[in-house]
Amino acid sequence: MRFLKYGIAVAALAAASLSLNAAAASDDPVADRKAVMQSVGAAAGLGGGMLKGQIEYTPAAGKAAISTMNAAAHTFGGLFPDGSDMADNSTAAPAIWDDRAGFDAELAKFAAATGAAAKASGKEGPADLDAFKAVFGPVLGTCKSCHEGFRVK
Amino acid sequence: MKRVLLGLVSLAAIAAVVAWVLSAPQTLSETALANLQPGDAVRGEQVFWAGGCASCHAAPGAKGEDKLRLVGGVKLESPFGDFIAPNISMSAPDGLANWSLEQFANAMLKGTSPDGQNYFPAFPYTSYTRMELQDVADLFAFMKTLPAVDGKAPDHEVGFPFNIRRAVGLWKVLFLKEGPVIAEPLTSETDLAVWQRGRYLVEGAGHCGECHTPRNPVGGLELASWLSAAKAPVGNGTIPDITASEKGIGSWSVEDIAYYLESGFTPDYDSVGGEMVSVQENMAKLPASDREAIAVYLKNIPHK
Ligand code: HEC
Ligand code: HEC
Ligand code: HEC
Repeated sequence: MRFLKYGIAVAALAAASLSLNAAAASDDPVADRKAVMQSVGAAAGLGGGMLKGQIEYTPAAGKAAISTMNAAAHTFGGLFPDGSDMADNSTAAPAIWDDRAGFDAELAKFAAATGAAAKASGKEGPADLDAFKAVFGPVLGTCKSCHEGFRVK
Repeated sequence: MKRVLLGLVSLAAIAAVVAWVLSAPQTLSETALANLQPGDAVRGEQVFWAGGCASCHAAPGAKGEDKLRLVGGVKLESPFGDFIAPNISMSAPDGLANWSLEQFANAMLKGTSPDGQNYFPAFPYTSYTRMELQDVADLFAFMKTLPAVDGKAPDHEVGFPFNIRRAVGLWKVLFLKEGPVIAEPLTSETDLAVWQRGRYLVEGAGHCGECHTPRNPVGGLELASWLSAAKAPVGNGTIPDITASEKGIGSWSVEDIAYYLESGFTPDYDSVGGEMVSVQENMAKLPASDREAIAVYLKNIPHK
């Protein structure tokens, strides 16, 4: 997967964003939040692939990765209603419901990083790989600390 | 009748004596200690990260530089009760300031304390026992360079009978094994030196099996199911299968595994989570060749 060619990555991202839209319309919060995180994973794959030089960087692709992340950061927090913690197919940890403030703090860090990246990316997307790295690196840096406390396999 | 009874009583007495003798804490031999060179703190830092000492012995939630302040306090929940990792900084009142290298090596390799008691295996000496004595000496030299932090961690919250240290001696007879778990790689194409380095890191200092291998009802590792997934010690999570099979990470390449240990991203860009985060951050501090060696070793573990 990390050796994705640009075209496949963008297609994956488009599919993931489609499911993001479909998700917003359904009434299954577990399916919705998993779809949102899958789009985050696809955007990380595209951005990470460009950072590693496996996919050629273009400002448009940089912008696509950033805006997917930013959309996710703004919708994800609403998908954890009471009672959606017991689902078998979910890897959301009980801590989300026991320590909502802690979870919200992780969400806020995620949204701060994606918001800053979206702002820096402007109309055309970050001009070159260095500009992209400066704003996308911090977004990738927020995944781990949320998964550490709020996800269980 | 009387004679039978007497026989039974003496049998019971013999059993008790045998159990007492078997449960006696073991220590390293004089000859093992004789050839030891003074520890090298620079090499010891690598051993420290490979061993993950900070994951348990730094303060709960410590990040960055605070991981080097080994004040203790992390709570390890288990079906037998809660164990609290103690202070192992160089504090004189509360830590290891007055320990000799020999005492430290007996703790790491034999699970035996300076006053001759058995440690509970929540301290993963069942894996550390496979470490080279010289690596333990280097580790101790590095730990001496770290800050001394005063403060005693709370006592373990473990009920009878699991709180009897002497009984751990019998457990050790059954489950404390110095030898390697896996005898040889799956395929003869594997670079043996790289694989052996990987085995040493995974089975020894890295103590990967302590989480990824299932345990029997008395808490011993089921070595026949090595790295084939385990129930999380508490709650209803599972710790994934990391064998090179369909159920595990058979679809990951050596590069994928090494990249996961370096960055925390899986091949499909899921991000590492849970207790693996601190393990991954420790692995990221090792040389790339060590992460690759671990990956080569894991690619040679079949699912059982
Ligand atoms: C604010 C917390 C939070 C942040 C930040 C976060 N995640 Fe997640 N992630 C979760 C939770 C919770 C789940 C589990 C959702 C479920 O199964 O109900 C999850 C699940 C996932 C999944 C699996 C989705 C599936 O199919 O089940 C992927 C992939 C993923 N995250 C990738 C990422 C990446 C990459 C980042 C960083 C760019 C990231 N996440 C940042 C909380 C977070
Ligand atoms: C999984 C958690 C865990 C890890 C990892 C761990 N320890 Fe410990 N350690 C413990 C626990 C729990 C105890 C207390 C055992 C007891 O009381 O019987 C302990 C005890 C000790 C002791 C004895 C302290 C005393 O006061 O008697 C030493 C020394 C020690 N650990 C060193 C280390 C070193 C060095 C490392 C890294 C190579 C390490 N530990 C990694 C959990 C851990
Ligand atoms: C303290 C317990 C613990 C220890 C020690 C540990 N792991 Fe893990 N490991 C986990 C958990 C929990 C996960 C699941 C992480 C998640 O939720 O993303 C995991 C996940 C993994 C994965 C990813 C599997 C997948 O399917 O996503 C790999 C690879 C891995 N560990 C390798 C190792 C190696 C190599 C070591 C030894 C150096 C090790 N682990 C030591 C708890 C541990």
